[in-house]
Amino acid sequence: MKFVFIGLILAVAIAARVLLYRRRQRRKATGVVGQGGPASVGEQEPQREHRRLSSALSGVLGDAGLVAKREIRERVRGRIFRIGTVVILLAVGAAIVIPAVGKGSSAPAQKVAIVGTDGSGVSSLLGEAAARVGTKVDVVPEASLASAKSALRSGAVDIVVDGDRRVLVNGPLDSNNTASQTSALAQSVAAALGIAQAYRAAGLTPGQVAQLSQARPVPVQSLQPTTKSTVKTTSVIGLVLLFLMLTQYNTWIMTGVMQEKASRVVEVLLAAVRPLQLLGGKVLGIGLVAMGQAALIVVFALVVAAAVGSDILHGTAPLVLASELLWLVLGYAFYCWVYAAAGSMAERQDQVQTLALPLTLPIVVAYVLAITAASSGSANLFFEVLAYLPPTAPFAMPVLVGLDLVSWWQFVISVALAIGGTVCVALLAERVYRRAVLRSGQRVRLHELRDRRQTRPAAP
Amino acid sequence: MPSLLELEGLRRTYGSLTALDGLSFSVPSGHVVGFLGPNGAGKTTAMRAIFGLTDLDAGSVRWNGSPVRQAERRRFGYMPEERGLYPGMLVGEQLEYLGRLHGLSAPAAAAAARAWLDRLDIGDRMESKVETLSHGNQQRVQLAAALVHEPELLVLDEPLAGLDPAGIDAIGQVLVDQARAGCCVLFSSHQLDLVEDLCEQVTIIDHGRLVVSGTVDELATSGARRLVVRVEGDRDAAFAGGIPGVAVSEVSAGQARLILDGSVDSDTVLRAAMTAGRVTEFSFERRRLSEVFREAVA
Repeated sequence: MKFVFIGLILAVAIAARVLLYRRRQRRKATGVVGQGGPASVGEQEPQREHRRLSSALSGVLGDAGLVAKREIRERVRGRIFRIGTVVILLAVGAAIVIPAVGKGSSAPAQKVAIVGTDGSGVSSLLGEAAARVGTKVDVVPEASLASAKSALRSGAVDIVVDGDRRVLVNGPLDSNNTASQTSALAQSVAAALGIAQAYRAAGLTPGQVAQLSQARPVPVQSLQPTTKSTVKTTSVIGLVLLFLMLTQYNTWIMTGVMQEKASRVVEVLLAAVRPLQLLGGKVLGIGLVAMGQAALIVVFALVVAAAVGSDILHGTAPLVLASELLWLVLGYAFYCWVYAAAGSMAERQDQVQTLALPLTLPIVVAYVLAITAASSGSANLFFEVLAYLPPTAPFAMPVLVGLDLVSWWQFVISVALAIGGTVCVALLAERVYRRAVLRSGQRVRLHELRDRRQTRPAAP
Repeated sequence: MPSLLELEGLRRTYGSLTALDGLSFSVPSGHVVGFLGPNGAGKTTAMRAIFGLTDLDAGSVRWNGSPVRQAERRRFGYMPEERGLYPGMLVGEQLEYLGRLHGLSAPAAAAAARAWLDRLDIGDRMESKVETLSHGNQQRVQLAAALVHEPELLVLDEPLAGLDPAGIDAIGQVLVDQARAGCCVLFSSHQLDLVEDLCEQVTIIDHGRLVVSGTVDELATSGARRLVVRVEGDRDAAFAGGIPGVAVSEVSAGQARLILDGSVDSDTVLRAAMTAGRVTEFSFERRRLSEVFREAVA
């Protein structure tokens, strides 16, 4: 069943790729035919989509909406974005599918020899006993105890059941050793046979004994609903994705602003729109693309997890995922302004890299500490403080949620602080952007921006 | 009512450098106005000031008597000295985008983009990325970007630089047509012959100050009158030496350039020339714009 789901998902992914490829080919073809003439039907379709989005965005946000719409179109159209999305989806799919499938297939069927004729219904008990320890059995009839022992020594069988009297294994016998599937099965079979013996001694018929052996345990629910390892896995996967996405989207913002400055198109744009509209539109557009991609990944992860029965849907793991998604939004909102301001101070790729290094530092530090805390399952006071600081909260707070170390009001305080910090950073970044983006020639330094009379567009 | 752009007392300093020093001039609609000055005179700073792209220490920019704000700027078109387009964006989409930022609806922006590209003979590059175009065609796209929203004021910083003669003719004709249609057109250039051909009016600045302003005719005929005379038998224009108020500025291959002060009657000069020999050339000479420019910024 799992493989059917996986196959279905792969088929959908391949179909989507083929569809996109064919659409691109069609657009290319119509582009050639349509040169110099009126827009062809093939061109009108995507234009209509863009116009719907445009009218929605520009209707609400005016010029910033138009800027955002352009950003969305250019980003989504980019080959790097599309390939990157597919690669991330494949990686996430693999991270979920491999452990889940591996878990199911890690228990090969145990070969169990039954000595003599199965007069006591042993084989019917074996299946139930095997299911209890999460394995399967292949029953091998043996004519005599001697031949069964011989097969056991040679490794041809894993367990020998001598009638309903005893169970033989080849390895060292350790009642506490539950790690071995064979040992666990042997103990489970022994217990089942003992109970069956007791039933018979109490006067039950073999049919009644068989019926009782099929008794199912009632479900057990814990007030600590999930194992820490599941949350840990979910938390670490989420943190890795959070780190990758946050750095990727912020780099988009930074290079986008830098390229507008380097190509001097910013001068044409600022002749018509205010700096805040331009910057806000860019941040919004890239942010929407980012959130779209993140939502796609999360939905994909949940669908795959449901298909293969992964543990990430159990316990508090979905809460951790939701928290990480929220903090991706808040983290992006905070850092995008910082990176935009930095981008406005550069006009070459090497300058961007120099500027990006110190900005990435708090992200990297928070990420490493968060991974450490998530892996160890504990957080110290310093880490808990980081969960309230806007630059580090996007990594620290989801880990605390996963470890169940925060209450809802602490979470709300952290979110409020992040929003407040974002507003302050946005105001500061807009000032830096306004003053730096029209200064060309060399990298702008922060102290040069203190003089308000340096080149900058005047506020209307 | 004709539109009018007024720059009044613009002042802008960068540290110890004075880019604009009380610059004032105006640009009426219906005319192509050439904006001239040596490198570093403040032309680009003045043009950027119109669009609020530089802070002013003093002075104001007014449009039809009112201060220029964002709403007015959306009706202006600007072509900066350092060209600005998205290199990886399709030409048609880029123009539509800029048209929309200047207030056009989506269909109107698309139609205007196509119309301007056709007009500038690059309609077949609508689906091309800007970076794949030649320098000349990128320049045409840049001009289309300034024109796509049918601006009331067109400000172009060195629009003709680096163009071949066909490109200069095409863009020059567009500027003249825009002015004829009632647009205010202000453009800077160092190609003075082209400015003389295209412009009705010229403004020359130097060191951030206005030096000369007027129509091309006024400037060409202002100052001392100039005569070009060729007399057979008097290749050195010796006849002119005897006329009070006449000076010989240049003699070359039998052709003499004479400068007459206000008191001299040109008939007197003609009679003296005829006395000296057979007159084969006798004409008033207009001052070339390059001469006006050199005198103004000397």
